[in-house]
Amino acid sequence: MAATAEALPVLETEAMPVEQSQLRLILRRFARHRLAVVSSAVLVFIFLLAGAVRSLVPYDATEIEVGNSFAAPFTVSPKDGRTHYLGTDHLGRDYWSRILYAARISLTIAVVSVIGATAVGALVGALSGYFGGALDDILMRFVEFLLTIPTLPILLILSSILLQSPKAVPVPDFIINGLSGFMYISALEARQVVMIMLVLMSLGWLGIARLTRGVVLSLKTMNFVEAARASGVSTTRIILRHMIPNAFAPLVVSASLGLADYVISEAALSFLGFGIQDPTPTWGNMLSFTESYMFEHPWLPLIPGLPIFICALAFNYVGDGLRDALDPRLQL
Amino acid sequence: MINYLIRRSAQMLLVLFFSALASYALLSAAPGGPLQGLLQQTQSSTRKIDKEDIARIRAQFELDLYFSVRFSRWLAGVPRGPLSIGGRELLGGVVVGCRIPIEAVVRIGGEDTLQTVGCEQSVSMRDLVGRRTSRGIIRGDFGNSWAILRDRPVSELIWSRLPRTLQLQVVATLLSLLIGVPLGLYSAVRQYSRFDYIATTGSFIGSSMPTFFFGLILILVLSILFKRAGWAYLPSGDAAGVRAYTMPLLGRVEPKSLLDQTLRMIMPVTVLVLVSVAGWSRYVRSSMLEVLRQDYVRTARSKGVRERRVIVRHAMRNALIPFITIVVFALPGAFGGAVITETVFNWPGMGRLFVDALGRNDYPVTMAILLISAVLTVLATLLSDVLYTVVDPRIRVS
Repeated sequence: MAATAEALPVLETEAMPVEQSQLRLILRRFARHRLAVVSSAVLVFIFLLAGAVRSLVPYDATEIEVGNSFAAPFTVSPKDGRTHYLGTDHLGRDYWSRILYAARISLTIAVVSVIGATAVGALVGALSGYFGGALDDILMRFVEFLLTIPTLPILLILSSILLQSPKAVPVPDFIINGLSGFMYISALEARQVVMIMLVLMSLGWLGIARLTRGVVLSLKTMNFVEAARASGVSTTRIILRHMIPNAFAPLVVSASLGLADYVISEAALSFLGFGIQDPTPTWGNMLSFTESYMFEHPWLPLIPGLPIFICALAFNYVGDGLRDALDPRLQL
Repeated sequence: MINYLIRRSAQMLLVLFFSALASYALLSAAPGGPLQGLLQQTQSSTRKIDKEDIARIRAQFELDLYFSVRFSRWLAGVPRGPLSIGGRELLGGVVVGCRIPIEAVVRIGGEDTLQTVGCEQSVSMRDLVGRRTSRGIIRGDFGNSWAILRDRPVSELIWSRLPRTLQLQVVATLLSLLIGVPLGLYSAVRQYSRFDYIATTGSFIGSSMPTFFFGLILILVLSILFKRAGWAYLPSGDAAGVRAYTMPLLGRVEPKSLLDQTLRMIMPVTVLVLVSVAGWSRYVRSSMLEVLRQDYVRTARSKGVRERRVIVRHAMRNALIPFITIVVFALPGAFGGAVITETVFNWPGMGRLFVDALGRNDYPVTMAILLISAVLTVLATLLSDVLYTVVDPRIRVS
């Protein structure tokens, strides 16, 4: 849903006179994909929950209630009468509160990483496709080389290195402070979050670069680009008015599918112990804790696991719907 | 064809060299390593650790050598000391590392950091004589493990884990081919039917399902809840049991018996199969749909060829060509194992070995797994390109 909201205004402003109905056409086509519409609604709901964390949760993310671990859902705390809507974890921390704080963190990681990876990938791909020649050769060989390396092991190595020495990559203070304020976490934790974003972006841009390059290559030979060039339109204007709007559809689709991947990847890293570390709540590290206790408390994995699954599925459906709506011929 | 193979092989070697260099550099840049743990250990204990001890340990893990020297020793097993030509020693005095570095607190950007500022005692080529070293990766010697099986060869570790991974991967791959291919073909032939709708929705959900979550759900339902309900259940964790257990229907299950091992394989295989079936059936379906639209299929139909024959003879054979590429890429996976699935089910295979090695900073093991995976990936790429030209005469190598 976030992706649609970003996509539509651009399509509108870049529009020719008929574009208004084009927008309506896209919306109508999207609405026909029922599961995509339902998924958008679910995602809007989850984003709203994550956005309004502070007013929705009774506890702090790291608040420990001693002696009340593994409380059942809807247990009322004996101390101050607050309710643990989803029970508590092994340290007596409130699951409902942690899940929502984690939503804020995990979703921000996914969104920022997708935006970053898409920006880098689109830039590299567009340069490579538009200018061709030696630049294209070098960039594409490099991308292909990186694509032959198995992804998960490299992500694991990178995050194990970056988490052990978070100072290795200089990050401007305003980013750290901004994130730590936004996610209600300490600056140290925010630095960890930035590292994980970098890890996810490090290989994420590769596919997008190839995608954009392909689109730009095929656009270069299109009649309308030729016509624009023939009527004396400048290169910058061709890129801005013709290339980018046309490459936008596949990028939006791949970004929304990418969100699903990134939610899962971030959780996978945390789950394997190479992601964001406890006590910072993320769905992945909460899930990995429940694994140790699931023989006594079998239902625990569902609490952090379902949000991961639901988000991944919903992002995928929205991506699918967007693909149908924006350009049914797209094969992504 | 021969020319093509030679050129491709040369490219492959280059790619492999760079990926080895890149991964080695990456792991060398990583903090920690064997020394870190030791220092922390000795700080808390009463025994003091002195400069000599540190130097000795650094030498043991070759941490006192320069990166290029260390890399070359790891890759090719050289240099092992000064060259000797006609009884004369050459390059004996060349400095190849630093035995005892001088460390000082340096103020950078307002923060105090400990940095190496000089060298108290350097290592020369002559000092390398008599040092224990591997014969180099290119001779198939991966060196010794640092942590998991301390001072035992990495290859020993890999050989002990590889059969478990292969067992899982071979069964899972065969099963998912048996399920995924017919599923995709049938979906395509009956496009928009109820079957197609259910199959595509199922594969969509399957590919969105995080493997670790699916694994945990299986354990939750099939191991824990079934056991609590008093039904026959599936044991989880490890590839073989330690002690016998009894369950309804199957009675007493001996540890390490065939039954025990089969039961323990069911869940990890299910997870792997779900993921690949979801991907492969979608792939086969779209490829088959593409082929069914082709002119030669229409021609065959209009000639009056029976539908069954059209599908099996004309469409299916062509639809499965691109699929070869994907199947060949199961090869590196069969070696590297499924990192997440093996971790969830505590399966003693290569994937979990990688995670363990990385978590315990056992870099020789990590590097060995990475490198072998890279070799297999590159080989799979070549193999699939070559197979393509064999099965599809329309494609020519250039």
